[in-house]
Amino acid sequence: MTRYIIRRLAFALFLVVAVSSASLLLAGAVPGDFASGTLGLEGARRDRLEQARERYGLDKPLAVQYRDWVAHAVRLDFGNSLLYDRPVGDLIPERAVNTAVLALTALTLATVVGLPLGIVVGSRHGGLMPSAIRAGSVVLLSMPPLLTSLFLVFVAARTGWLPISGMRSAVAPPGGAALDVLRHLVVPAAAIALPLAAMFERLQSQAMREVVRQPYVLAAVARGASRSRVVWRDALKAALRPIAAVYGLVVGTLLSGSFAVEVITAWPGLGRLMLEALSARDVYLVAGCAGMGSIFLAVATLFSDVALAFVDPRVTE
Amino acid sequence: MSTDTTGLKGPRHIAGLKGAGRAEQAPPLRTAGPGPIKGAGRFSSRSIGVVIVAVWALAAVAAPVVAPHAVDDRFPGLLNSPPTVPHVSFVQRPYIYRWMLVNQLEQRYEIDRGRPVPLRWFSGGTLVQSSDEARAPLLLFGTDSYGRDVFSRLLYGARMSLSLALVSAVGAMLVGMAAGGLAGYVGGALDEALMRTSDFVMVLPAMYVALALRAVLPLVLAPRVVFALLAGIFALVASAARVLVRHVLPAAGGFVATELAMLIPAFIVAEATLSYVGLGFPDPIASWGTMLHDASTNIRVFADFPWLLSPAAAIFLVVLGLNLAIEDAGGYERTLG
Amino acid sequence: MLAVAALLAAACRTDTGSTSGAAGKSVSTSIVRGGEIVASVRSEPRTFNRLTARDTTTDLVSELTQAKLVRINKVTQAVEPWLAESWTLAADRRTYTIRLRQNLTFSDGHPFTADDVVFAFAAVYDEKTGSILADSLKAGGKTLTVSASDPQTVVVTFPFAFAPGVRLLENLPILPRHKLEPALKAGKLADAWGLSTPPSEVVGMGPFVLREYTPGQRLRFERNPRYWRRAPDGGPLPYLDRVTVDVIPDQNAELLRLESGQIDTMSGEVVPESYATMKRAAGEGRVQLLDLGPVLWADSFWFNLKPGAFAGDARAAWLQRDELRRAISMAVDRKAFADAVFLGAGEPVYSFVTPANKEWYWTGTPATPHDPAGAKALLASIGLTDRNGDGLMEDASGQPARFSIVTQKGRPRLERGAAVVRDELKKIGLTVDVALLDANAVIERLVSGRYEAAMYPILPTDTDPGTNPDFWFSSGSFHLWNMSQPKPATDWERRIDELMAQQIGSADYAERKRLFDEVQQILYEHQPVVYFAAQKWYVAVSSRLVNVAPALYQPLPVLWAADTIAVRPR
Repeated sequence: MTRYIIRRLAFALFLVVAVSSASLLLAGAVPGDFASGTLGLEGARRDRLEQARERYGLDKPLAVQYRDWVAHAVRLDFGNSLLYDRPVGDLIPERAVNTAVLALTALTLATVVGLPLGIVVGSRHGGLMPSAIRAGSVVLLSMPPLLTSLFLVFVAARTGWLPISGMRSAVAPPGGAALDVLRHLVVPAAAIALPLAAMFERLQSQAMREVVRQPYVLAAVARGASRSRVVWRDALKAALRPIAAVYGLVVGTLLSGSFAVEVITAWPGLGRLMLEALSARDVYLVAGCAGMGSIFLAVATLFSDVALAFVDPRVTE
Repeated sequence: MSTDTTGLKGPRHIAGLKGAGRAEQAPPLRTAGPGPIKGAGRFSSRSIGVVIVAVWALAAVAAPVVAPHAVDDRFPGLLNSPPTVPHVSFVQRPYIYRWMLVNQLEQRYEIDRGRPVPLRWFSGGTLVQSSDEARAPLLLFGTDSYGRDVFSRLLYGARMSLSLALVSAVGAMLVGMAAGGLAGYVGGALDEALMRTSDFVMVLPAMYVALALRAVLPLVLAPRVVFALLAGIFALVASAARVLVRHVLPAAGGFVATELAMLIPAFIVAEATLSYVGLGFPDPIASWGTMLHDASTNIRVFADFPWLLSPAAAIFLVVLGLNLAIEDAGGYERTLG
Repeated sequence: MLAVAALLAAACRTDTGSTSGAAGKSVSTSIVRGGEIVASVRSEPRTFNRLTARDTTTDLVSELTQAKLVRINKVTQAVEPWLAESWTLAADRRTYTIRLRQNLTFSDGHPFTADDVVFAFAAVYDEKTGSILADSLKAGGKTLTVSASDPQTVVVTFPFAFAPGVRLLENLPILPRHKLEPALKAGKLADAWGLSTPPSEVVGMGPFVLREYTPGQRLRFERNPRYWRRAPDGGPLPYLDRVTVDVIPDQNAELLRLESGQIDTMSGEVVPESYATMKRAAGEGRVQLLDLGPVLWADSFWFNLKPGAFAGDARAAWLQRDELRRAISMAVDRKAFADAVFLGAGEPVYSFVTPANKEWYWTGTPATPHDPAGAKALLASIGLTDRNGDGLMEDASGQPARFSIVTQKGRPRLERGAAVVRDELKKIGLTVDVALLDANAVIERLVSGRYEAAMYPILPTDTDPGTNPDFWFSSGSFHLWNMSQPKPATDWERRIDELMAQQIGSADYAERKRLFDEVQQILYEHQPVVYFAAQKWYVAVSSRLVNVAPALYQPLPVLWAADTIAVRPR
């Protein structure tokens, strides 16, 4: 087990390096750079463009830039963000925390809602409620996240119950800062959580349905165990495996998947930061975000695999 | 790239069945007596699902005949106009009422009840059309912000999006099966390598790759090229996701359709997202992704122009149909309910 | 001076307009001091240093915290004394003696003298800094000579008798010498005042002071207690105590927030699709919807006219011909364009300078009639006709008459405009492909000349043509169709160079107008850029605001006069 974890950690580190490097090198292939973006059409003046490139350190050949970056990176200095004029190493954790808060809240919400619903739907057949739940899941799954978040923002604006933008109000209202953030969290977290809950529900109900068909479940029923005991004790453990398998990936990609929501609700998170960095061609920031994203993914999949390994020893071959 | 997390992963496990092939599963218990009652009737949910999917498939195939207009037919005076509802009457042919522009900037329309415009069947090469196309076109789902018929674009969009999703899903499964089979054959190291490659693919900033890709491609892309490109990208990413989630052997039976059901909305959304960096279908090609993307540019869509969201309803129906179709009809008698 | 980067930094959907225009000014008899407003911007500032970036938010920060020698009133287009109290022009018509206001201080209390003005010029002209403002403070490409004859007097000498005169000085924010001179001397001025600068360092003489910057979320400004300007009643300005600027990247979210009263002013104008929502809100008394009329500058559509750009391409025979553009101008129905792109809220225009620019518009500009048949005839004269009866034209070598338009993805106005051009030209048989790219990619193509046709907004900051030589002169970097030419590629461009050189040197307005009319005539004849319709601008502010002076000025239609905005007491 320990060897397994160490191996995974080593690969995770390699992944971070690989992804960051790939981002930096890709920058050479992408049209325009930070200098040309800042100058706009002024960049038609070659001398201005060259001067700006020099100032930002973009005039050196790509290989040299990469080498410099690596030399600094091993000392944990990930460069200065061109867009925000701050060290990437300071900027990213700040925003990552914001996204983590959002992602974890959404994940918790989605699990708490989706899992039980999936179990209920999967362990019954027919009936109005399971059908309604299933229909609801399908609706949420077929709406693109952009539309879901727009809709929620629209509803929040029209009803006026909740703030629809940002993470904090300009002036902390009575009740304190924490409550303020919580109120701002509702709309973006719901926007992410609802489709996620739908997916969990679908997966869980499918898994549940499969498990419930197994002979050992029927045997338990035949032995006279109560229905709810069979569902919630015997079948559930097995049926949780698909969710555990998926969890890691979901958490890992929640980072980049949240960017649409972050943009619409102006949540100052990593997804939005990455998008801005991409548009502005801030290469160091993109590399930093990509690296952070891979850390998220690596940690999340590691956790989920370890958890799965505990549940089902056959996984660690 | 699919930055949507909610659909790219399929369920790739079966509880307790790793390594044990299907053949070893004990034959299902059967109750005595006549065959199962629920779930096998003429209107079983499974058959409803199949019908829904079949209808959409048919719509996609028959779009050129069923759609009253072409994808780029524009009606300049009717931007974001409401649907023309067909009225059926026994005394005359079905007819519609014309929408008249009241205020262009506010995009307000008024119905002209004075003059019913009858519909014509099998004319102009299509199934049904209005008899006065110039002034009172048949717009079953209204028009979009360019003044194009949403219903026709929905049908043509079905062709584009469904075929893209199908091709991508098949591609993903082929790649997945090949990789998985190879890994199973070669053993542990390749398996690990595949997992790591999949991690890499999933975390690479997709937009960046898309931007880079767009840059090396020629400025003007033919729809065929875009289709092939998108299918390739989706297949790659989907199979990477599958690799990360799989714990057992390749799919069979029900899981294919389940995956498809999850992948289709994800592919459609991804297609819309990629168009942000110019890697989407060029205007005026209709696809559900780009239609939804256009709809989302105007917040009034929820309150005032709900027909613009018909692609979302269409996706919902397709996914619902798939979900229903794959549900195991046989075996209800063995559930706990 | 052409300000374009604002359009880039705004991540996608901002629509833009620009200077001048008549507008309703809501004057209240008794204005209450105090209160705060919330404004919104699409993206964060790139820096606090106006010398090195010109995106919308950086510009806004500069407008709020810095002051200039003169101000051009964006409503009347007149020059107003600002930090400069008065000025006289010497007999040689080149030297201005500018008298500064007495006893002014920066927001940190440091006194303001003529040396600060000299420093500001030095900072802008500094080679090492490479400021983007440098070109906008040059006359005919040459720098001005500035000296301080005494602490209250600055002498500015132009290289020749420059007609626009002190108008040019509106481009110069007077930066604090006591804060930035060390950086200038060390050659590091370009790096000064980056986003990590503590707000207390950002010192200026504008109406507000930067109090706080929360990255990713907002900027907060408070009134500058040492602001020099006084209200008509003699009391201090600004009326407001605080201005908060929220960063709202999504246009829909911004609209919803304005509608529900969470913000007081939007960035830019009300886009046509949102008009109905705003009208409804105005009807319910939640917002004020202001009609500013047609804008000064319409979106530009042009072809790549660089000689040799299409070498090796058989289409070179017709892609760069005048007749092609004149035919396009005739073929596109401008009313249909305005209807489709602006939902009818647009006026057909036929030239770069629009009727809204009353001072400089050539009233003889012909209104090109919508004449598809004439367009076809014109195209036939350069060899483009339908040779095989398929409804589409081919050129003399049998190639399809086909070209591509590059424009920015995510800006509905441009996407729709390009789509309308494509559809209209299809009717006469020309095939057009619209290529939508992201902002950076578009700029890269335009600057490197790898495009065939483009549609993009180009916005000068001032109505006086003498202040935007970059567009008119063939050597200019905004001479869209063929930038930065070492010498004019065509006769007519040479003629325009001559006329413009005379124009900016002439003292007499009538003479200048005559010369400039001739320039416009030449441009109309050759149509290097084709214009279709100018948007009618609507601006929405919350009903709390009073004394707003909205103007056709991009990107700050309302905040350009932030010091005189007030709020209704609750």
